[in-house]
Amino acid sequence: MTTGSRFRPDRRTLGRRGLLRIGGGAAALAALSPVLTACSDSGGSGKLRLVGVADQQKPVEELVARYRTSHPDAEFATSFAPTDQVQTVLRTQLAGGNAPDVHVLYPGSGSAMSMVELAKAGLLADLSEQSWTKEVPSNFHPAYRHEGKTYLYSAGSSVIGAIHNKKAFARAGVEPPRTWKELLDVCAELKAKGIIPIALGTQTPWVTQLISYALVPNAVYARNPAFDAEMASGKAHFRDSGWADAMGKYQELQRRGFFNENPNGTTYEQQTSMVASGRAAMAVQVSAVLANFRQAARNPDDLGMFPFPGGDDAAKLWIPAGIVVGLGISARSRNSAEAKAFVEFLGRQQNVDRWARSVAAIPFKRDAATRTDPALDGFLPLIDDNRAVPFMDQSWPNAEVQPAHFAAVQDLLAGKTDVDGALGQMDEAYGKKS
Amino acid sequence: MSTATARGPAKAKPGRTGRRPKYGQYALELLMIAVAVVFLFPVYALVTLAMKDPRQISESPLSLPSPPTFGNFGDAWSSASLGPALLNSTVITAVSLLLLIVLGSTGAYYLARCARGLGYGLYILFLLGIVLPFQLGMIPLYRLVDDLGWLGTYQGMVLFYTGIQLPFTVFLYTGFIRALPQDYAQAALIDGCDHRQAFTRIVFPLLRPITGTVIILNAVFIWNDFFTPLLYLGGSDKETVPVGIFAFVGQYVSDYGLVFAGLVLAALPILIVFVVLQRYVIKGFAGGLKG
Amino acid sequence: MTSTSEKTVPGPAGRAADGPDTGRGRRVRHRDHTIPPWLFVVPALVVYGIVVLYPSLAGVMYAFTDWSGIGGFSFTGTDNFRALLDDGRALESVSNTLLLTLAVVVVQNGIGLLLALGVHTSIKSRAVLRLVFFAPAVVSPVMVAILWKYVYNPENGAGLNGLLGAVGLGGLRQDWLGNPSLALWSVAAMVVWQYAGYSMVVFLAGLQGVPAELHEAARIDGAGSWQRFRYVTWPLLAPALTINLMLSTIGGLKLFDQVYAATNGGPGTSSETLSTVLYKEAFVYGKFGYSTAVALVLALFVAAVSLVQLRYLRAREVTA
Repeated sequence: MTTGSRFRPDRRTLGRRGLLRIGGGAAALAALSPVLTACSDSGGSGKLRLVGVADQQKPVEELVARYRTSHPDAEFATSFAPTDQVQTVLRTQLAGGNAPDVHVLYPGSGSAMSMVELAKAGLLADLSEQSWTKEVPSNFHPAYRHEGKTYLYSAGSSVIGAIHNKKAFARAGVEPPRTWKELLDVCAELKAKGIIPIALGTQTPWVTQLISYALVPNAVYARNPAFDAEMASGKAHFRDSGWADAMGKYQELQRRGFFNENPNGTTYEQQTSMVASGRAAMAVQVSAVLANFRQAARNPDDLGMFPFPGGDDAAKLWIPAGIVVGLGISARSRNSAEAKAFVEFLGRQQNVDRWARSVAAIPFKRDAATRTDPALDGFLPLIDDNRAVPFMDQSWPNAEVQPAHFAAVQDLLAGKTDVDGALGQMDEAYGKKS
Repeated sequence: MSTATARGPAKAKPGRTGRRPKYGQYALELLMIAVAVVFLFPVYALVTLAMKDPRQISESPLSLPSPPTFGNFGDAWSSASLGPALLNSTVITAVSLLLLIVLGSTGAYYLARCARGLGYGLYILFLLGIVLPFQLGMIPLYRLVDDLGWLGTYQGMVLFYTGIQLPFTVFLYTGFIRALPQDYAQAALIDGCDHRQAFTRIVFPLLRPITGTVIILNAVFIWNDFFTPLLYLGGSDKETVPVGIFAFVGQYVSDYGLVFAGLVLAALPILIVFVVLQRYVIKGFAGGLKG
Repeated sequence: MTSTSEKTVPGPAGRAADGPDTGRGRRVRHRDHTIPPWLFVVPALVVYGIVVLYPSLAGVMYAFTDWSGIGGFSFTGTDNFRALLDDGRALESVSNTLLLTLAVVVVQNGIGLLLALGVHTSIKSRAVLRLVFFAPAVVSPVMVAILWKYVYNPENGAGLNGLLGAVGLGGLRQDWLGNPSLALWSVAAMVVWQYAGYSMVVFLAGLQGVPAELHEAARIDGAGSWQRFRYVTWPLLAPALTINLMLSTIGGLKLFDQVYAATNGGPGTSSETLSTVLYKEAFVYGKFGYSTAVALVLALFVAAVSLVQLRYLRAREVTA
């Protein structure tokens, strides 16, 4: 990136203080400020500022508490908020040159707060010297690393599969399917018994993508591992790739009536409730939601999870496994030594395990003592056999493709477009410069 | 002048149409109650959700809670640190309101009485503040507050809310001051009062109804604002109520029983203020024009 | 600008409530004494300048850059504005924005006025009713959207659909947020529910300025309740009406939280408004420069609409 001739919105170079003095009132305020701040805490020295998304609250708070038992003088100022708001706040703080020391960071590229996006702008501290970074398996490197340097800490990967209600399956007398064909049969059987086969809540934007993601590894990457590179070079397009196959299957499930009515009006919470209560038999979801499904169910053990069979050969099934949302350290942190010590602490095996367990993820490194969520047992062999593909958006070149995918799926389900049109929308977004 | 004297001894309850209640009045009352019931349906949803655990919400979100769980209120109170958060919200809201009333009413007094040339230009300039999207100045303003060293402080938030809500406040006050009879103020000026005295003794008391409105509408905005406190106060010990409550809203895992219980608790202070103000405003009108 | 002010001033603008009598023109001559010193407006102007004017002016610069919101940027002249002309998504959102605004302005103020008139009587439950109608305005808009998703649950036995079924109106059940041609109106209904009480409060403040004696006099003259409303209350409500119409128009054009939290602009792009587009450009797509250009155009548009509206309404206040 050539920043030499470009402006950097660095706080000290824009002459903002000069501008500020133009307004007499503002100058008076500025003059007053040292007096007033003498008695206030602006979060500066000593306290480690950490901003995360609400879903990280549980593991982070647990691990901060553990860290403080061994580092009693380390002080933290943490705050957590819903994803959209955190994104907005962090972008503003980064733009204002006042990023928190440690903040939420999304793996790979393809979103406004993704590792690649921020690393390119020079906003992240290099973590490559930490020992845990050597243990990140090479197929995960694109998620953690940019130009050979590690910038992201994440506990591991979350898989997408079918979360199912075992009692509903038992009522219909069916077993988890292992091929696409079996899946269609099982769904037909469930439907005949008056159970909604697959609950779908595409009113919530991020839910729209899950079925595509569950189908694309088999439809695209099992056949052509170089697909991402071909997309990047412009040789391949969504429209005439295996994506058409996957979207066709998505549509087929709807055409056969295997979803609840009105998926576009149904929220993620309603989807959860359908499966937890047994009104629906399963939902294609990311493993991170297991805790939510369990607390909504009468008996948490009623719920299980199996790889969603997108292909016809049970022995060669591919699955999506994406690195979970993690943390990064701001390049301009005034407490970077403390921040790095904390992240080093998070990189210890038992802490990786703790974080992974609390979000039902599979740790990026495992040892004999690692215990993953039992619901994920069926996924481990596929991961160890390298038949797991990162979530597709993590390699997309700009942040517009994913929202275009959301909209395309909703349009498809609403009958406002066809597979060709939906993928055309995505190709168009993919072609935009970031 | 006729209106002045007509308004003076207004003691009758506003809108009272007769001594004896009439059938029409009962019909109106029934109709209004019916409308209220329709309005209350989402409120009912809010309160019932607040009294359920995640499993109850999942099974039947809007049925009557059986048994109702009151634990959510206690949990929300402690895990969102609502005690300190309520104090922070109260301080920030109250001080901002005070400044808004003082700056807004005095500014509007000038703008309403000087409706040509500079006055009109300034009025339009203030109106512009209601129109501008908040994104426009967000980053420069953030840097300014940072430069002042006011991140994580009460004064940073008070400055922000006073500035951001002034256009709206000035707009409300100006509209109503224009509608006020000028005679009192003029009389006072002729009697040798200066404008400051005329304003504080005559005009401002006449503004009670709209001051009540200014207080309640601004209070609602400031009290509920989530984004700015998260941006300016996040991680500090000055966090406000919405910041505490929103921390429960995850993408994957949320406990909406807790969220809605927190919301109910957060709404109560504002509702109490509203009830008190409504009384004050009405009394204020009836008794405020003794002269 | 000057011509505007000149036209508005003759006959003290907006002082309709001085009374239905004439003889206002004379007051203009007293102006010199009655105009307060400009020092009255200085404190407000300073704070407003620091918090709103200066940052907004400083922010305008980004509209002429390719800034992503982080890192460096370069100036690109008017590229962003030219790109806007070709941006189908932004242009489509304009009609949604206008429809939503129109619906909210008309329905919210209509209901708000009726509610205000209803509770500005001596009915026994008036204090409670005011509280009930105002209560929704107290909840944060994002939370209202989360709550209403439970109300708008499309399943037959749930939420609003369940209620409709229970009272025998099952035929009216809808996929409220999932039907692309309905989603925008469902959001509008939610907004009206939340802010009708808000309009009511402003109207109430106006009604409290209507002297009961005028009503009494009109009654004695034999005016019916409609006539009393039309010729006594309505003209005196002019300032409150101006405020309500202006605020709801501006609020409608800028409406963001409710739309974003309720539908995120979906399904597809069917409920996208200018505000959701500009938010997404800035914070989801990382195109802060472009987003600022959209914001600027939105601001100019809203300013134009409100100025026209203000002129009309103030003229009306004079003649009403």
